[in-house]
Amino acid sequence: MSMKAFRKIFADELSFVFSCPAILWQSVFLYVPFLLLVGYSITDFNETTGTWFLTLAYYKQIFASLYIQIIFRSFFLAALTAAICFAIAYPVAYFLALKVPKRFKTILLFTLIFPSWTSLIVQVYAWFFLLEQNGIISTVLRFFHLISPTQHLLNNYFTIVVGMVSCFLPFMILPIYAVLEKMEKHYLESSADLGANRFETFRRVIFPMSLPGVYAGVMLVFIPSFGEFAIPTLLGGAKYIFWGSAIVDKFLRSRDWRLGSALVIVGIMLPVLLTAIVYAFKKIRIYLVTRKSKQYADYLSTHKELWG
Amino acid sequence: MKSIRLERVSKSYQGELIIDNLSLEIKAGHFFALLGPSGCGKTTILRLIAGLETVDSGRIFLGDQEITHVPIYERKINTVFQQYALFPHLSVFENVAYSMRIKRFTTEVINAKVADALKMVRLSGFEGKYPRNLSGGQQQRVALARALVAEPDVLLLDEPLAALDLKLKEEMLTELNQLQDKLKTTFVYVTHDQFEALTVADQMAIMSPQGDIEQQGTPKEIYEFPVSCFSANFVGNTNIIEGRLHIIDKAYQIEVEGLGLFQVYAPTEKLWMIRGCRLFMSVRPEKVLITKKPKEGFSNHLQGKVTDIIYYGRSTQYRVRLQNGQHLLVFEQNEEHFPQESIDWDDEVHLYFQKENVVLLEH
Repeated sequence: MSMKAFRKIFADELSFVFSCPAILWQSVFLYVPFLLLVGYSITDFNETTGTWFLTLAYYKQIFASLYIQIIFRSFFLAALTAAICFAIAYPVAYFLALKVPKRFKTILLFTLIFPSWTSLIVQVYAWFFLLEQNGIISTVLRFFHLISPTQHLLNNYFTIVVGMVSCFLPFMILPIYAVLEKMEKHYLESSADLGANRFETFRRVIFPMSLPGVYAGVMLVFIPSFGEFAIPTLLGGAKYIFWGSAIVDKFLRSRDWRLGSALVIVGIMLPVLLTAIVYAFKKIRIYLVTRKSKQYADYLSTHKELWG
Repeated sequence: MKSIRLERVSKSYQGELIIDNLSLEIKAGHFFALLGPSGCGKTTILRLIAGLETVDSGRIFLGDQEITHVPIYERKINTVFQQYALFPHLSVFENVAYSMRIKRFTTEVINAKVADALKMVRLSGFEGKYPRNLSGGQQQRVALARALVAEPDVLLLDEPLAALDLKLKEEMLTELNQLQDKLKTTFVYVTHDQFEALTVADQMAIMSPQGDIEQQGTPKEIYEFPVSCFSANFVGNTNIIEGRLHIIDKAYQIEVEGLGLFQVYAPTEKLWMIRGCRLFMSVRPEKVLITKKPKEGFSNHLQGKVTDIIYYGRSTQYRVRLQNGQHLLVFEQNEEHFPQESIDWDDEVHLYFQKENVVLLEH
C-alpha cells in the first residue's frame, strides 16, 4: 500500500485519530487483561516438572460444583432486578414523557436522577443504616409490633432486591424516557384516528415503538447487576454468595486465580449466550413474517383479479 | 358517504380564539376543498371534524347524527395526515391493516382488503416494505390506502401533498380526483394552495385570515365570481382597480381617476351598489387582450407601456403601466411558434376587455 493510500484511509480520517486513545485504552485495560484471564483459566503449572500445560480442569470444577449454581443465582437476581426495574420504570417514564407538562419535565427528571449521582456504595450504606436493627425503618416497624424486638431487616433476599432495584432504577427510566419523549404526537393521533382506543394505541404503537429504549434499559440494568458484589454483600450479609462476591473471594482471599479466571469466563458466557438466543429469536420472527407474506402471496395468486 | 355540518362552532387554543362561531356544510359525496392562508384555522376545523380536538361551543354533525362528543376512535371519519404518520415499526401491509386488526377482522378479510386497497393506490407488491424505504409519494399513497381501507363516511386530507414536488403533486391530484369519483366518499381537502384546491375539488370554501368562511361554491363560481377582494386575490391573479359607480339608464359604469369611464356589468344587483359609491372592479389578467394594433368590438379600452415580461412557457405575463401610473397584469396564451406581433419591453400597447368579464366588489 502506497503512503498516499495509507493516508487516505487513516490520516485523513480525523475520527479515527480521535478514537485512538479510546482504542488504546480498551486494548491495554480490557482486551489484554481479558486474554490474560483466558490464559490463566486454561493453563496450569506442574511444580514437580516445572512445566506449563493446558487444562480444562478449572472449568470442570466449576460445572461440577456449587459455582455454577452461584452463577445462575446471580443471573436470576439480575433478571429479577431488570424485570422489577422495568415494571416500575415504564409507567414512570411514560408518565414523565407523555403526560407531564413540558415545564415540569426537567425538574421531575432531575429529582429522579440525582440520587444516583452519589456513589453506589454510599447509596447501599444508606439502605444499610435504614434497615439495620437501630435504623429508622426497623425502629418504626418495631414500634408498631410488626417485627419482633430482636428482628432486623438486613440479610435477606428481599432486601438485596430492594437495594438493587433502587440503585439501578434510573438506568431503566432514562432510556425508556428518551424514546417515549421523542415519540411524535401524530403517530398517536393517527392510531386513534384509525379506531384505536388508548389501550390499543399503547399496545400497538407506543409500546412497540419504545422497545429500543426498553432493550437499552434492560442491558444497562442487567449487566451491572449480574456482576454486582457490593449490594448483595452489604445488604445480604454472608448468607448469599453471588458471582461478583465469589470472584472477589477467589482473587483476593483464597488467591485461587485460575479457578477465579474460569469463573469469570463462564459467567461472561451466560449473557453472551442469552444475546445469541435473542438474536436467534429475531431470526425466527423474520422467518415467521416471511412465511406470512408468502401465504399472502399465495392468496394473491389464487385471486388474480386483485392484480392490476 | 355522508355530509358534515358544523353549527356555530368556536374553538380557542391557549387563550387565542381560532374559530369563532363558524358554520359550514359539506354535502355528501363531494370533493370539498377548504382553502385558506396559513394560520387561518383551516387545520383546526379539520381536527375538530376528525375528533382530534373538541369544540368549546357549537355542534358537529355527520349526516344526521351529532358527533360533537363522540370520541375520535368511534367516528367513521379517517384522516390522511400532512406528515403521513405511517407507523415506522410496521410494514406497509400492517400499516394498511391497522384499523382492521383493531376491529379483529379475520385474516382472509384483512388479506383481501389490504390487497384491494394497495391495488387502488397502485402499490401492489410493496406489502413487505417499511415506511422508511418508501419515497414521499409512496408513503402518501400508503397513508391514503390506510385511511380508505377503514371505509370512512368522510375522508379528511390535511395538506397531503405539501411535501411533494410539482410533477408528483399533479399526478396525485389526478389520482385523488379519480379515486373520489369511484368511491363517492366525501373528501374534505385542506390546503393553502389555490392550484390544488381548484384542480381537485368540485366544491370549495375560502377562509379569510380571520378564520371566517369568505365564500363557498364550485371552483368555477369562486374563480369567476369572487365576492370579495380577498377571494379574488387569493384564488388566481387579478387586477383590482378602485373607482366610483355611475348608473346611467340601468347601465353600470365605473369612473376611475386618470383612466376615465369603464363599461361594466353586474349579473346580480347588490344592496351596496348605489349611485356614486366607491367600489373595486376585478379583472382577471387572462381576460385582457394585449395588442400593438387598435381593435374593434370591445367594451373597454386602455393604453399603456410594457414594463415587465415574464415568460412561463404556456403563457406570458405582461405588466403594463397605465396612464394613471397603476399597473395592469395581462396573461397571454403562447398559442403559436411564430406570433404575428411580438411585444417587447417599453412597447406602447392597447388593452381590451369586455364588460361581462369585470367583477364588482364592495369597497
